[in-house]
Amino acid sequence: MATVRINPHVVVRLVLGGVFLYAGFTKIADPTAFAGNIAAYRILPYFGNYLLAAVLPWLEALCGLLLIVDYRSKAAASLVVLLTVVFMVALTSAIVRGFDIDCGCFSKTGEKTSTWTALGRDAVLLAVAIYCTRGKKQRDS
Amino acid sequence: MTHSVTKQRAAGRKRLLAEMAVIFLVAAGFGIAWNHQLLMNAWSGKTAVSPPAPAAPAGESPIPLPLGLQQVKEFFDRNEAIIIDARNRKDFTDGHIRGAISLPVGEAEGKLASLRKRVPVTAMVVAYCNGYSCHDSMDLANRLIAAGWRQVFVFEGGFPEWRDAGYPVAKGE
Repeated sequence: MATVRINPHVVVRLVLGGVFLYAGFTKIADPTAFAGNIAAYRILPYFGNYLLAAVLPWLEALCGLLLIVDYRSKAAASLVVLLTVVFMVALTSAIVRGFDIDCGCFSKTGEKTSTWTALGRDAVLLAVAIYCTRGKKQRDS
Repeated sequence: MTHSVTKQRAAGRKRLLAEMAVIFLVAAGFGIAWNHQLLMNAWSGKTAVSPPAPAAPAGESPIPLPLGLQQVKEFFDRNEAIIIDARNRKDFTDGHIRGAISLPVGEAEGKLASLRKRVPVTAMVVAYCNGYSCHDSMDLANRLIAAGWRQVFVFEGGFPEWRDAGYPVAKGE
Protein backbone atom coordinates (compact mmCIF):
# COMPACT_ATOMS: atom_id res chain seq x y z
CA MET A 1 0.00 0.00 0.00
CA ALA A 2 1.42 3.36 -1.00
CA THR A 3 1.95 5.83 1.81
CA VAL A 4 1.11 9.47 1.27
CA ARG A 5 3.74 11.84 2.62
CA ILE A 6 2.44 15.24 3.51
CA ASN A 7 4.90 18.04 2.89
CA PRO A 8 4.51 20.46 5.84
CA HIS A 9 5.75 23.37 3.75
CA VAL A 10 2.94 22.85 1.23
CA VAL A 11 0.32 22.60 3.97
CA VAL A 12 1.55 25.76 5.69
CA ARG A 13 1.71 27.62 2.39
CA LEU A 14 -1.85 26.58 1.49
CA VAL A 15 -3.17 27.59 4.92
CA LEU A 16 -1.43 30.97 4.80
CA GLY A 17 -2.63 31.51 1.24
CA GLY A 18 -6.18 30.58 2.24
CA VAL A 19 -6.17 32.99 5.17
CA PHE A 20 -4.99 35.91 3.05
CA LEU A 21 -7.27 35.08 0.13
CA TYR A 22 -10.25 35.00 2.51
CA ALA A 23 -9.15 38.18 4.30
CA GLY A 24 -8.81 39.96 0.97
CA PHE A 25 -12.15 38.85 -0.44
CA THR A 26 -14.17 39.82 2.64
CA LYS A 27 -12.78 43.33 2.40
CA ILE A 28 -13.03 43.70 -1.38
CA ALA A 29 -16.77 43.21 -0.95
CA ASP A 30 -17.14 46.27 1.30
CA PRO A 31 -14.28 48.77 0.91
CA THR A 32 -16.21 51.56 2.63
CA ALA A 33 -16.58 49.56 5.82
CA PHE A 34 -12.91 48.65 5.65
CA ALA A 35 -12.01 52.33 5.20
CA GLY A 36 -13.92 52.93 8.41
CA ASN A 37 -11.89 50.25 10.18
CA ILE A 38 -8.65 51.84 8.94
CA ALA A 39 -9.86 55.30 9.98
CA ALA A 40 -10.40 54.03 13.51
CA TYR A 41 -6.61 53.69 13.83
CA ARG A 42 -6.30 57.45 13.24
CA ILE A 43 -3.04 57.10 11.34
CA LEU A 44 -3.90 58.16 7.79
CA PRO A 45 -5.72 61.23 6.48
CA TYR A 46 -9.25 60.91 5.10
CA PHE A 47 -8.35 60.01 1.51
CA GLY A 48 -5.49 57.76 2.65
CA ASN A 49 -8.01 55.53 4.44
CA TYR A 50 -9.96 55.04 1.24
CA LEU A 51 -6.85 54.50 -0.90
CA LEU A 52 -5.54 51.85 1.46
CA ALA A 53 -8.99 50.25 1.69
CA ALA A 54 -9.06 50.06 -2.12
CA VAL A 55 -5.60 48.54 -2.57
CA LEU A 56 -4.83 46.43 0.52
CA PRO A 57 -7.58 43.78 0.10
CA TRP A 58 -6.47 43.15 -3.50
CA LEU A 59 -2.87 42.81 -2.36
CA GLU A 60 -3.90 40.33 0.33
CA ALA A 61 -6.04 38.34 -2.09
CA LEU A 62 -3.36 38.28 -4.79
CA CYS A 63 -0.67 37.17 -2.32
CA GLY A 64 -3.04 34.47 -1.02
CA LEU A 65 -3.77 33.25 -4.53
CA LEU A 66 -0.08 33.14 -5.50
CA LEU A 67 0.72 31.19 -2.33
CA ILE A 68 -2.01 28.67 -3.08
CA VAL A 69 -1.00 28.09 -6.70
CA ASP A 70 2.70 28.24 -5.76
CA TYR A 71 3.56 30.82 -8.40
CA ARG A 72 6.09 33.44 -7.27
CA SER A 73 5.23 32.21 -3.80
CA LYS A 74 8.46 33.39 -2.20
CA ALA A 75 7.76 36.95 -3.33
CA ALA A 76 4.14 36.59 -2.15
CA ALA A 77 5.26 35.22 1.23
CA SER A 78 7.78 38.07 1.57
CA LEU A 79 5.01 40.57 0.91
CA VAL A 80 2.86 38.82 3.52
CA VAL A 81 5.71 39.19 6.01
CA LEU A 82 5.93 42.88 5.19
CA LEU A 83 2.16 43.38 5.45
CA THR A 84 1.94 41.51 8.74
CA VAL A 85 4.73 43.63 10.24
CA VAL A 86 2.86 46.78 9.15
CA PHE A 87 -0.38 45.42 10.69
CA MET A 88 1.43 44.69 13.95
CA VAL A 89 2.93 48.18 14.09
CA ALA A 90 -0.54 49.70 13.51
CA LEU A 91 -2.11 47.47 16.17
CA THR A 92 0.64 48.29 18.65
CA SER A 93 0.16 52.01 18.05
CA ALA A 94 -3.59 51.58 18.68
CA ILE A 95 -2.90 49.73 21.93
CA VAL A 96 -0.34 52.33 23.05
CA ARG A 97 -2.83 55.14 22.38
CA GLY A 98 -5.55 53.27 24.28
CA PHE A 99 -7.95 52.78 21.36
CA ASP A 100 -10.59 50.12 21.83
CA ILE A 101 -11.24 49.36 18.16
CA ASP A 102 -12.03 46.47 15.87
CA CYS A 103 -8.83 45.34 14.16
CA GLY A 104 -10.54 45.25 10.74
CA CYS A 105 -8.61 42.09 9.85
CA PHE A 106 -11.61 40.24 8.46
CA SER A 107 -14.48 42.52 7.59
CA LYS A 108 -18.04 41.60 8.51
CA THR A 109 -17.27 38.35 10.25
CA GLY A 110 -19.40 39.07 13.25
CA GLU A 111 -17.89 39.94 16.60
CA LYS A 112 -15.32 42.63 17.12
CA THR A 113 -11.75 41.32 17.35
CA SER A 114 -9.72 43.09 20.03
CA THR A 115 -6.35 44.59 19.17
CA TRP A 116 -4.56 42.20 21.54
CA THR A 117 -6.17 39.15 19.93
CA ALA A 118 -5.32 40.49 16.49
CA LEU A 119 -1.74 41.16 17.54
CA GLY A 120 -1.35 37.57 18.76
CA ARG A 121 -2.87 36.23 15.56
CA ASP A 122 -0.57 38.40 13.46
CA ALA A 123 2.45 37.10 15.38
CA VAL A 124 1.46 33.56 14.41
CA LEU A 125 0.88 34.60 10.79
CA LEU A 126 4.26 36.35 10.75
CA ALA A 127 6.02 33.20 11.92
CA VAL A 128 4.15 31.13 9.32
CA ALA A 129 4.96 33.61 6.54
CA ILE A 130 8.65 33.67 7.49
CA TYR A 131 8.62 29.86 7.41
CA CYS A 132 7.10 30.00 3.92
CA THR A 133 9.82 32.31 2.61
CA ARG A 134 12.56 30.13 4.07
CA GLY A 135 11.03 26.84 3.03
CA LYS A 136 10.80 27.96 -0.56
CA LYS A 137 14.37 29.23 -0.48
CA GLN A 138 15.67 25.92 0.82
CA ARG A 139 13.78 24.03 -1.85
CA ASP A 140 15.15 26.27 -4.56
CA SER A 141 18.76 25.85 -3.49
CA MET B 1 33.94 31.37 -6.25
CA THR B 2 32.75 33.34 -3.17
CA HIS B 3 32.42 36.40 -5.36
CA SER B 4 30.18 34.53 -7.78
CA VAL B 5 27.97 33.23 -4.93
CA THR B 6 27.62 36.78 -3.56
CA LYS B 7 26.75 38.01 -7.03
CA GLN B 8 24.13 35.27 -7.43
CA ARG B 9 22.58 36.14 -4.05
CA ALA B 10 22.44 39.83 -4.94
CA ALA B 11 20.77 38.97 -8.24
CA GLY B 12 18.31 36.72 -6.39
CA ARG B 13 17.44 39.48 -3.96
CA LYS B 14 17.00 41.92 -6.81
CA ARG B 15 14.68 39.51 -8.60
CA LEU B 16 12.69 38.92 -5.43
CA LEU B 17 12.24 42.66 -4.89
CA ALA B 18 11.23 43.10 -8.52
CA GLU B 19 8.64 40.33 -8.19
CA MET B 20 7.28 41.89 -4.99
CA ALA B 21 7.03 45.25 -6.73
CA VAL B 22 5.16 43.71 -9.68
CA ILE B 23 2.71 41.92 -7.36
CA PHE B 24 2.11 45.17 -5.47
CA LEU B 25 1.59 47.17 -8.65
CA VAL B 26 -0.82 44.60 -10.12
CA ALA B 27 -2.83 44.55 -6.87
CA ALA B 28 -2.80 48.35 -6.67
CA GLY B 29 -3.93 48.58 -10.29
CA PHE B 30 -6.84 46.20 -9.74
CA GLY B 31 -7.79 47.87 -6.45
CA ILE B 32 -7.77 51.38 -7.87
CA ALA B 33 -9.60 50.36 -11.05
CA TRP B 34 -12.23 48.39 -9.10
CA ASN B 35 -12.82 51.24 -6.63
CA HIS B 36 -12.23 54.22 -8.91
CA GLN B 37 -15.65 55.77 -8.25
CA LEU B 38 -15.26 55.41 -4.51
CA LEU B 39 -11.79 56.98 -4.66
CA MET B 40 -12.95 59.84 -6.87
CA ASN B 41 -15.75 60.62 -4.44
CA ALA B 42 -13.39 60.48 -1.48
CA TRP B 43 -10.84 62.66 -3.28
CA SER B 44 -13.42 65.31 -4.10
CA GLY B 45 -14.55 65.38 -0.48
CA LYS B 46 -17.87 63.70 -1.12
CA THR B 47 -18.90 60.81 1.02
CA ALA B 48 -18.25 57.54 -0.68
CA VAL B 49 -21.59 55.90 -0.22
CA SER B 50 -23.87 58.84 -0.78
CA PRO B 51 -25.45 60.13 -3.94
CA PRO B 52 -24.26 63.59 -5.08
CA ALA B 53 -24.86 66.17 -2.40
CA PRO B 54 -27.40 68.90 -3.08
CA ALA B 55 -26.02 72.20 -4.28
CA ALA B 56 -27.94 74.12 -1.66
CA PRO B 57 -30.15 73.09 1.21
CA ALA B 58 -33.29 74.50 -0.29
CA GLY B 59 -36.73 73.57 0.91
CA GLU B 60 -37.78 70.72 3.11
CA SER B 61 -36.17 67.33 3.12
CA PRO B 62 -38.46 64.31 3.41
CA ILE B 63 -35.42 62.06 3.79
CA PRO B 64 -32.08 62.98 5.35
CA LEU B 65 -29.89 64.38 2.61
CA PRO B 66 -26.15 63.82 2.57
CA LEU B 67 -23.80 66.78 2.82
CA GLY B 68 -20.14 67.03 1.85
CA LEU B 69 -17.38 68.40 4.04
CA GLN B 70 -17.23 71.82 2.39
CA GLN B 71 -20.97 72.34 2.67
CA VAL B 72 -20.95 71.49 6.34
CA LYS B 73 -18.00 73.88 6.81
CA GLU B 74 -19.93 76.64 5.07
CA PHE B 75 -22.93 76.07 7.36
CA PHE B 76 -20.56 76.04 10.32
CA ASP B 77 -18.84 79.28 9.30
CA ARG B 78 -22.14 81.05 8.68
CA ASN B 79 -23.71 79.53 11.78
CA GLU B 80 -26.60 78.39 9.60
CA ALA B 81 -27.15 74.93 10.96
CA ILE B 82 -27.36 73.14 14.29
CA ILE B 83 -24.80 70.35 14.26
CA ILE B 84 -25.73 67.24 16.22
CA ASP B 85 -23.30 64.50 17.24
CA ALA B 86 -24.99 61.08 17.15
CA ARG B 87 -22.08 59.18 18.70
CA ASN B 88 -21.86 57.94 22.26
CA ARG B 89 -20.89 60.24 25.14
CA LYS B 90 -17.31 59.03 25.37
CA ASP B 91 -16.61 59.65 21.68
CA PHE B 92 -18.17 63.09 22.05
CA THR B 93 -16.05 63.90 25.09
CA ASP B 94 -12.89 62.70 23.32
CA GLY B 95 -13.51 65.10 20.46
CA HIS B 96 -16.35 66.62 18.47
CA ILE B 97 -17.13 69.35 15.97
CA ARG B 98 -16.94 72.61 17.91
CA GLY B 99 -20.37 73.78 18.94
CA ALA B 100 -22.05 70.44 18.24
CA ILE B 101 -24.82 69.15 20.47
CA SER B 102 -24.43 65.61 21.79
CA LEU B 103 -27.43 63.37 21.15
CA PRO B 104 -26.40 59.70 21.11
CA VAL B 105 -28.80 57.83 18.88
CA GLY B 106 -29.52 55.33 21.66
CA GLU B 107 -30.76 58.13 23.93
CA ALA B 108 -32.64 60.03 21.23
CA GLU B 109 -36.17 58.88 22.06
CA GLY B 110 -36.06 60.24 25.59
CA LYS B 111 -34.35 63.49 24.69
CA LEU B 112 -36.20 64.70 21.62
CA ALA B 113 -38.62 66.73 23.75
CA SER B 114 -35.81 68.68 25.42
CA LEU B 115 -34.06 69.07 22.07
CA ARG B 116 -37.21 70.65 20.65
CA LYS B 117 -36.96 73.37 23.30
CA ARG B 118 -33.39 74.19 22.23
CA VAL B 119 -33.68 73.64 18.48
CA PRO B 120 -36.80 74.79 16.61
CA VAL B 121 -38.19 72.31 14.10
CA THR B 122 -37.68 74.90 11.35
CA ALA B 123 -33.92 74.98 11.99
CA MET B 124 -31.47 73.34 9.65
CA VAL B 125 -29.96 70.33 11.39
CA VAL B 126 -26.86 68.35 10.44
CA ALA B 127 -26.24 64.98 12.09
CA TYR B 128 -22.92 63.22 12.04
CA CYS B 129 -21.15 60.26 13.61
CA ASN B 130 -17.88 58.45 12.86
CA GLY B 131 -18.29 58.58 9.09
CA TYR B 132 -17.68 55.76 6.66
CA SER B 133 -19.75 52.77 7.71
CA CYS B 134 -21.29 54.45 10.76
CA HIS B 135 -25.07 54.60 10.45
CA ASP B 136 -25.94 56.39 13.70
CA SER B 137 -26.17 59.79 12.00
CA MET B 138 -28.63 58.45 9.44
CA ASP B 139 -30.67 56.71 12.16
CA LEU B 140 -30.76 59.89 14.23
CA ALA B 141 -31.66 62.00 11.19
CA ASN B 142 -34.60 59.72 10.43
CA ARG B 143 -35.81 60.05 14.03
CA LEU B 144 -35.50 63.82 13.86
CA ILE B 145 -37.59 63.91 10.68
CA ALA B 146 -40.17 61.62 12.26
CA ALA B 147 -40.25 63.97 15.28
CA GLY B 148 -41.01 66.99 13.10
CA TRP B 149 -37.73 68.57 12.00
CA ARG B 150 -38.01 69.45 8.35
CA GLN B 151 -34.48 70.25 7.18
CA VAL B 152 -32.31 67.40 8.29
CA PHE B 153 -28.97 66.55 6.71
CA VAL B 154 -26.37 63.90 7.31
CA PHE B 155 -22.65 64.61 7.18
CA GLU B 156 -21.54 61.10 6.32
CA GLY B 157 -17.81 61.85 6.36
CA GLY B 158 -18.44 62.56 10.03
CA PHE B 159 -15.97 63.50 12.71
CA PRO B 160 -12.92 61.72 11.12
CA GLU B 161 -13.22 63.75 7.93
CA TRP B 162 -13.80 67.00 9.83
CA ARG B 163 -10.87 66.42 12.18
CA ASP B 164 -8.52 65.33 9.37
CA ALA B 165 -9.37 68.49 7.45
CA GLY B 166 -8.08 70.49 10.42
CA TYR B 167 -11.42 72.17 11.11
CA PRO B 168 -12.39 73.36 14.62
CA VAL B 169 -12.92 70.62 17.16
CA ALA B 170 -13.51 70.66 20.89
CA LYS B 171 -13.16 68.20 23.73
CA GLY B 172 -15.23 67.59 26.82
CA GLU B 173 -18.94 68.04 27.43
